[in-house]
Formats: sequence, structure tokens, C-alpha cells
Amino acid sequence: MGLTKRLFIKIIPGKTFLDKLSGTTKVRFFLLLILLLIVSWDLRVLLAVSALGIIGMISVKPNWPLVRGLTIFMLLTNLFNLFLIWLTNPNYGADLTGGCTVLLVLSKHYFISAETLFALFVRFMKFMSTFLISLCFIQCITPSEMAAGLYSIKVPYKVCTVVSLAFRYIPDIARDFENIKISMQARGMELDSKKVGFFARLKQNILILMPLIISSFDRIGNIANAMDLRGFGKGKKRTYYSEHEETKEDKIMKVCYLLTAAGIVAIMIGRIVAPPEYKMWKPW
Amino acid sequence: MKESKWKQFLGVWNTKTIVGVAIGAALFGVLMVFGGIKIFSNTSLTSAMVVVVVVAALFGPVPAALTAGIGNVIADLIGGWGFWFDWSFGNLVLGLFVGLLPLYGAKISEGIFTVKHAIIYAITCIVGNIVAFGLVTPLLTSLFYSQELAITWLQAASAIVSNGVVLIVIGIPFLFLLAKRNASKTNLKKED
Repeated sequence: MGLTKRLFIKIIPGKTFLDKLSGTTKVRFFLLLILLLIVSWDLRVLLAVSALGIIGMISVKPNWPLVRGLTIFMLLTNLFNLFLIWLTNPNYGADLTGGCTVLLVLSKHYFISAETLFALFVRFMKFMSTFLISLCFIQCITPSEMAAGLYSIKVPYKVCTVVSLAFRYIPDIARDFENIKISMQARGMELDSKKVGFFARLKQNILILMPLIISSFDRIGNIANAMDLRGFGKGKKRTYYSEHEETKEDKIMKVCYLLTAAGIVAIMIGRIVAPPEYKMWKPW
Repeated sequence: MKESKWKQFLGVWNTKTIVGVAIGAALFGVLMVFGGIKIFSNTSLTSAMVVVVVVAALFGPVPAALTAGIGNVIADLIGGWGFWFDWSFGNLVLGLFVGLLPLYGAKISEGIFTVKHAIIYAITCIVGNIVAFGLVTPLLTSLFYSQELAITWLQAASAIVSNGVVLIVIGIPFLFLLAKRNASKTNLKKED
């Protein structure tokens, strides 16, 4: 199954420290960290979270070649975005940090200032830390743990089931896709992307897509009946098999995520009580 | 009458809808990761939106919105590139607009989809696209990441164009096809 190997789905729980945490801990910690990264413009916070992300990445022992490819891709996209920002507004840093120390003048409109470089770097770290934390989260969570974790933050369990069911269905999609592709090739369709042009590829996409969508949606009735027969949706609450009692590690992480939450609240209150002059903290 | 519209808006949340949204979200996620052709940074011409059209036709606006929103989160997860909730929200809003089908009388499951419905559908798609990626996503992006609006709008513009093309050029024929497929069921009458 070529497709599923390229996806980041973990079905079987792993054995590392992060894997062993309960779904509740993983989901809550992750969401709070993402929230912190959205709220914070402080380079110190961003660097600390990135360091945490890197440690986490190493600890979960990921599939390195896949991660490397993705990281390079993200770096390039990110750098391209930064370049675009600079292109549209060479004085990007002035509004965010205040001040404009010109380092290099390129033309009448384009120049490089220390503040802009710093602001761009902060933004770069903001993106990269979000990326690292997400990647780490993806590497250590299984679909049913994710559903359990979402349920623990009061998401209705029917929505949680949508999430875990969707993940359960992805390998089926991969299998159907392979089958449809092979039968299309048997009918003489050229699928080598080097041999066909843009519009031909677009047309092929649609030709494979339609049977895939129709066959998938035809299965709704069967799955829904099977779930109804097992009494799905009858109760008001739900428990999860993957969810275990709080272990010692969970308790340690609970302290961590509560601290993170306190940090977010502190930042927000600080912003309301004493609004900082500029959005970003800068070392000078 | 008003209440029934509201019910159509929410959709019926039975097991069938849950399974439908789940399968839709899974398809949306996979297609977003693999079914796309890159056109601009962070955006690509993806066929994933077709799935939202199908869910909209079968279940209505809120299920369609959830399909798009959860589907985008799943795409972020299996693609491994991190979570960008600003775009997930944009997709959610677009899904809501696409899903308005039953509210203006296009009942695909009963085989009702006329040229008039197609025109209204096209208009809601365009409006939804503009609201979703011209307003919601740029607003959230500048709020979350303080990105220059000009770039977000560039990305948004490419998203609007590609989604619009997929929704209208592929979506409308597909809706006619689905309606025709379901129309055969309508000559059966319920006996008392």
C-alpha cells in the first residue's frame, strides 16, 4: 500500500514517554501550546517551545527520512513567504518592534533593516515552532486517543466519533484508490505524470475521483447500520477504551499544561492591563 | 416553516450523518494531501472540494461545514505539516455556504436539481469563497501570525480561484449526475 506509507498515521500506540501519556494529556497540552504560540510574540517563548518540540521529536523516534523531506519543504515554503513579506513591506519590523536601523540600502524602496530582520526571524520561529509541535503531536497520537482527548475537552462525542471514524477510513480509501487506478490503467489510461500534460492530468484526477467518491458514499448505509446495531448514539455519554487512568507521567505533564494555560492567561491579562508599546519583544 | 429551515440548516444528526461526515472528512483530507496540483505557496488546486459538494447534497450545510473543517484538520495531520486553524476555519465557512443547497430547494436525494438551482449554487459558491478566504482566513491569519495582508490575500485569491473552479466546473455536472442517479428512486410511492 504505497499511499498509507506516506501518511503520518499511527494506529498502534508506541512505547516512548510521549506515547504512553493518555489522550487527554496529549490533546490538552498540544492545544494549549498551539494557543500559546498564537498569542505570544516573544522570541524567548518561541525558542523555548521550539526546544521542547525538538526534544519531543527526538524522543518519539520518528520516521526520519519522511520527517526530513517534510521539514525541508516547510523551510523552503516558509522562507519564500518571508521573502514575500519583505517584498511587500520592506519596513515590516518598524510597526512590530519600533525603530528602523537601516543596514543595507538596495534601491529607493527596498532596504534591509535590523528590526525587519528580527521581526522576520520571530515570525519564522513562530511558524517553525508550530510546525515542530504539530509534527510531534502527530507522531505520538493514535486516532482513538485523539477522540478520547477531544471528548475530555467537552467536544460532543458524535464529533469525536467523526474524527476517529475518518481515520479508520483512510486505509480503505488508499485501497480503493489503488484498485481504481489499476483498473483505469488496464483500460489504457496513461498515469505517468511525465508523459501527460496539465489538463490531461486534471481530467484523470476527476476520472479516478468520481468512482472513489461514489463507492465511498455508497458504504454509508452499511457502516451506519452496523453502528446502530451496536447501539451507537443511544447514551448521553461515552467512555473510551484507549483512555487509561492518570499515570505518574500524566500528572507531571498536567502540571506542565496547567502552567502553560496560566502563562497564556498572564500574557492576555498583561496585554489588557498594560498594553506593550510594540507587539514584539526585542533584545535591544 | 422557519423551524424546518433551521432543521435543514443543522441537518439530521443520526448515525448515517455521522458516518457520512466522517467518510467525507477522510476523503477530503486524503485528496487535499495527494489530489492537489501546486499553484502558489500554501495553496493548491485540489479536488477535495468535490467531496464537500457531495456531503452538502446528502446532508445539508452544517454537516458540509464540519466535513470541510475536520477534513482540513485531518489533512494537516496526515500531511504532517502542522495545524493552520485559520485555513481550517476558512474551509468550514466555505463548506457552510456550499451546503446551503437544500435551503433553496435543491433536494439532490430526491432528484431535484434544476438550472435555476445550479445558478444559485454557483452564486453561493462564489460568495462563500470570498467570505471564507477573502475575509475569515485573512482576518485570522493576521490575528494569529500578523502576516502581511497583501500576501494572505494573494494566497487567498489563488484559493478562491481554484476552489471556485473546482466547485463550479466539476461541482455542477456532478450535482446533476447525483440528482439523476437519485431521481429513479422517486417514482416509488410510500403505501399507507
